[in-house]
This record gives sequence, structure tokens and C-alpha cells, in this order.
Amino acid sequence: MDFLNLLARLADLDTTALPAAAPRRAALGRLGQAGTALLPALLFAGALPQPAAAAPQDTRTRLDVLLLARQISVFENEFYSQALGLVAGVAAVPLSATEKTAVQTLQQQEALRVALFSKLITDGGATLPTAPRYDFTGSKNGTKAALYPDLQTSPDTFLRVAQLLEDAGGRALLGQAEYVRNDGYLFEAVVRAQSVEARHASHIRTMRRQRGATVKSWVSPADAAITTAGTVAAKVYEGESNTVQVYTTTATATVAAATVSVPFSSTLPINVGTPPLTPAGILEKVAEAFDEPFDAIVYTNLADLFTY
Amino acid sequence: MSDSVVPSFLGRTLRRRSFLRVAGATAASSALVLAGCGKDDNPNPTPGPNAVATLTLTGDDNGLLNFAYLLEQIEAAFYQKVVTAFPADFTAADKAAFIDLRDHEVIHREFFKSVLAANAYDAALPVPFEFNFTAYTLTTRAGVYAAARTLEDLGVAAYNGLLRRFSNLTYLRLLAKIGSVEARHAAFVRDQAEPNSFAGPEVIVASGSLAGLSVLKTPTEVAALIAPLLPVVLVADNLMLL
Repeated sequence: MDFLNLLARLADLDTTALPAAAPRRAALGRLGQAGTALLPALLFAGALPQPAAAAPQDTRTRLDVLLLARQISVFENEFYSQALGLVAGVAAVPLSATEKTAVQTLQQQEALRVALFSKLITDGGATLPTAPRYDFTGSKNGTKAALYPDLQTSPDTFLRVAQLLEDAGGRALLGQAEYVRNDGYLFEAVVRAQSVEARHASHIRTMRRQRGATVKSWVSPADAAITTAGTVAAKVYEGESNTVQVYTTTATATVAAATVSVPFSSTLPINVGTPPLTPAGILEKVAEAFDEPFDAIVYTNLADLFTY
Repeated sequence: MSDSVVPSFLGRTLRRRSFLRVAGATAASSALVLAGCGKDDNPNPTPGPNAVATLTLTGDDNGLLNFAYLLEQIEAAFYQKVVTAFPADFTAADKAAFIDLRDHEVIHREFFKSVLAANAYDAALPVPFEFNFTAYTLTTRAGVYAAARTLEDLGVAAYNGLLRRFSNLTYLRLLAKIGSVEARHAAFVRDQAEPNSFAGPEVIVASGSLAGLSVLKTPTEVAALIAPLLPVVLVADNLMLL
């Protein structure tokens, strides 16, 4: 079945006319409120058709994935366009010539992906969302205290926000690909977009390091924090220091299978340096060696900081 | 069924895929094949270390994991070689970065080895493969970064081409996490080899319907590109059926 045809049909549907998913979703919502202790009992009682572990695939459509992939690029395109002085009424960030060249590359590649994902959405018969109004200082057009008041005048602040957006875009796309894995074309588009975000994020980090910031080109527990604990922006790095990687040996998530945890902290011969690192030191490298996905909501909450 | 919205790209893919799944079912069930050294005149060859002519990957998740394992072995061996004898013009920052890169790739390599266990292609080999890096200049900073750029870009393109072929969702997730870090590595070494080349037209498609996306290489394309580094002939054809 062609997903674009499917999209076209979905676009014609009123959202209230999706009876199959809604009750189950509502049930999961209620379960969440009732507390997790209740969940196993209900599952055994057959209250839900599938184990909760399989739920994510049911709750995001291909259209959701496309819209988020587009939003990420729309957002970064606008952010870089403003920094380059391409948006009326916003002064260009005073970057060096080399830095400006890099930001031009970043902006142009985001614009290409805006076009690509927009086309996939409109070809399927769905409509593009209206463009929001942006305020990357985070002041919501002056209605609250700015999060980044010197964004347009300080290259350091600009690059800090750029790193936040690129790292966030990479993590969000990493979380989206699996929802469209039954569609090889769309899946690869998401995965290949994710690689670009990771390259962009790496470059922004290199730029910041060249300006004296304590930051690696890969996400590291050793990076100096660029967010304040407890804020919406801090969610972008939550869980990135994870050192536990798990898998199951059966092919499908619907079959209950034993979860295997990769023994990084015990038996794997990964501490090969001379002299060897401390146990904490090698686990820091493990955290660096795997980028972690996050849910779409983390990205949309972040984007909400910069729109009004 | 007619596809009025777009040319039937997906329809074709699915039909082809379901056909190939049936066609490949018997071949895929056999274990990873390490062919003998092919000396016909010796009916009972005693394989020495790595006396292997052909490494044929199976058309299943184990074949895909072995392919990624091999790529990570190559990267880890490369970085270890550099770290063991840094070029004279390497800065302190270069050295720190290469130790990170070596550690990451060793972690990836051991991760795959752990997941594959007895299914690793080299589980029964007396010593692991040695890879041939003689095509690279490893005595200068420029030579080392140029080599790293080649290997990392290839890794990113390879992961992009592997992911959708997995059956097991949990493998797919882990490889995607690794692929993302490889893309960070690639941008870093590209920038060191040539400033601002982190997303050049060789690695990000610049025009056409896929403009703005990262380059993807299929398993057989990658196998051809790594062939000069390997002590065996790598056959990845079965992965193309997935």
C-alpha cells in the first residue's frame, strides 16, 4: 500500500473519525494516571490488545513523522537565516568569515530538507502547517524575560543555541525512524536526514571548541553544560549519558523475549588505553559512543520556547 | 492497483521484497560461510591463520551485524595503529581526539562481537583479521586525517544503507545510535582535513529529489570499497536481498 495514498486518505478524514486507536490511547492515558502498579494486572487480564512495549508504533503516524522532520529543518533554516541577516528586521550575528561560510552551508542544507519533506507531505495530499512566528531570544516577542538576550550580538550565544537545536534535531530524528520502518523510502529519508543533523551538530561543536568552549564534537559527559538543570532546554541532554544498551534476540517486539544488556561495565575488553582508564572514565567513552533518541514532545517543547 | 499520486516506487519495492524474501529463504538459513582456501590439489587442507578465501555474509540479521562488525573492526584497527605511532605533526588536541575515536570504535567493535557471540564470522578463527592500510599515509597529520575521512564517510553511508534491512527492531535502534556517532566522527575528521568541509557535496546530496540528505551506500557498494583493506573476498550480495 502506498503511504502517500494513505496520507491522502488520512488527510480527508476528520480526526474524530479514528475510532480504532482512540479508545486504546485513552486507556493508556488513564493507566498512566492510575500509576504503573496497575499496569501488569490489567495486561494479564487482557484489557489491552497488545503489550505496552509495542505501543509507540501505534501512536505516531507517518504524517506525524514527516511533519516533525519538516519542522526540525524549518526551524533551523529560520534560525540560520536570521543569523545571516536574511530575515528583514533581524541583524546578522557578527561571525567571522569562516564561521559565516559554515552557517551558510548549514542554512542551505536545511532549506533543501524543508523542500524535500514539504514535497513528501503535499504529494500525499496533506497540507503544510502555517509558519509560526519566531523569537530565538526566547522572549516571546518581548512578553517575557529573554532566555538568550544577546543572541543576535554574541557569536558564542548564537552557537550555543545552534548546538542545542542541532543536537535536539538529531536526537528527535533518531527517535522517529522506527515509526516508519515499514516504508523503506520514508525510513531512509529520516535516517539520512538524521546523519546530516549529526554532522551539523558535530561541526557546531567544533566551532564552539575553536572559540574556547569545553565541548567535544560528540556528546560527552565531559562537555560543559549549556543548559540549566530543570529547564525545558535541559531535556535536550537528558539521558545522553546513558551507558546501558539493551537488545532482544528475537525479531519482533510483540514476542516477549529476554532483554540482554551489553556488558560494557563488566566483561567487555574495551578499556584498551595505556594506561587504562578508570571504570568511570571508560563508561564516559561508552556514553559518547552511542547517541540517544528522544521523544517528539521534547523537540516540540523546545521549539515552543522560540515561537509565539 | 494504480498509483495516482506518485510513481509506484513503494509498490515495486514491496513486491520485489516479498519475492526476494521467498527466494532467499533457503539460502539465508545456512550459517555464515567461511570458504576454504580453495587449493584443489589438497583434499584435506590445513587452514593456517586466516587461510580464508571468501567471506560470504548471510542474508539475515546476523549477516548485517557481521557486516557492521567488520566495519568497526577496520575502524578500530585503523585508529589503534595511529594511536600506537602518532604522526610527528599531531597536536595534543589531535591526539586526544584520536584516543576518543579509538575508544569509541573499540567499544562499537566489542559491542558487535558481544551481540554476535558464536555467530561472529571470526568466532572460530585462531587470530582476528589483519587489515591492509598500506594505501594510506599514516606518518603525517594530513595523511591520517584523509584516511580517517575516507573510513568515517564510508561508515556513515554504510549504516544508512544497512538499517532498513534489519528484522530485529532492537538491533536497528542500536545501529542507528552508532551511525549517528559515526556521522559526528565523520564531520570532525573532515573539518580537520579541510576546514568547513563537514557537509560537502561528496557526503550530502546537493541536487535532485534527495537533495539535503546524507549519502547512502548499499552493502555491495561498501564491500567493493573496503575490498582493498581485507585479507579475504567479502561477498555481501545476500544483504541486498533484505
